[in-house]
Amino acid sequence: MKSLKIIFSIILISHFISAEQLYSDLSIQEQQRLEYLSDNIRCPKCSYGNISSSNAPISKDLKKEIAQMIKDGYTDDEIFNLLANRYGDYIILKTTPSNNKLIFILPLMIFLISIFLVTTYTIKKSK
Amino acid sequence: MEWYVGMSSRFAIVGFSFFLLFLVSSFYFFLTTDREVAAIQNQEGKKLELIDDLYDLDGKKIDINTITEGKVLLNVWASWCITCLVEHPFLKEITQDKDVRLIGISYKDLPENAERYLEKNGNPYVFSISDFNGSFSLKLGVTGAPETFLIIDGEIVKHRIGEVNLEVWNEKFKDYF
Repeated sequence: MKSLKIIFSIILISHFISAEQLYSDLSIQEQQRLEYLSDNIRCPKCSYGNISSSNAPISKDLKKEIAQMIKDGYTDDEIFNLLANRYGDYIILKTTPSNNKLIFILPLMIFLISIFLVTTYTIKKSK
Repeated sequence: MEWYVGMSSRFAIVGFSFFLLFLVSSFYFFLTTDREVAAIQNQEGKKLELIDDLYDLDGKKIDINTITEGKVLLNVWASWCITCLVEHPFLKEITQDKDVRLIGISYKDLPENAERYLEKNGNPYVFSISDFNGSFSLKLGVTGAPETFLIIDGEIVKHRIGEVNLEVWNEKFKDYF
């Protein structure tokens, strides 16, 4: 019974020691920025996930580095650029439409063409 | 009206077969041509960024000129890294057979564990830079261990992410030694 109590209290305590408190010297806004940045930066080692979901040593290091850069007053874009310079554009998961126009324009074009085809077909048929 | 229906179905068949042909040929094209797969950019062509305070495994301060002058092979390793153990015999081989100046970076490793690893498996390195918290390697663009850099006069000429074996050596590094 006593050991059960101890186990439960360990579980209860460990619940409160969450990952956010690793960067407790950041303000809430800064922590949100850190979250946003690490959600949008790819893990260089594992490459199929972002660094906030990765446990690779490099991801933790990068998160620490980003936290430091936030404290040093870098803007989000500056941090993205700095990391893209080091690891290439592939590192940034957040894409901007201007970088790959085709991917955004192609579905729109297909949609418009199909509307055109369907309307001409139905107009012809009703005649 | 009947000729019209016949026309449109013929048109559909021709169109559909063109579509199939397009699919098959595009699949063929993209599956058979070698294209560069999007990947993490390596550090080739960049200048080697060094910090002033670098220490070896014994805690002695390293003279930075020993890294930036001439031709140096920098190898990132750790005692916890299994692939490093796999490439270790090959590193010993090239340092014995060829005129290779191999400097190690002990990545996120306790100096005593690193020393024990070298005692057990042999030491091909002139010396190893101790990078316990990984901050030096992070600035260098290291993503993990093992990694190998060829540095000529302070410029990163070649960068291999992963194990170096005979095949990789012949492809990337052989021409320089």
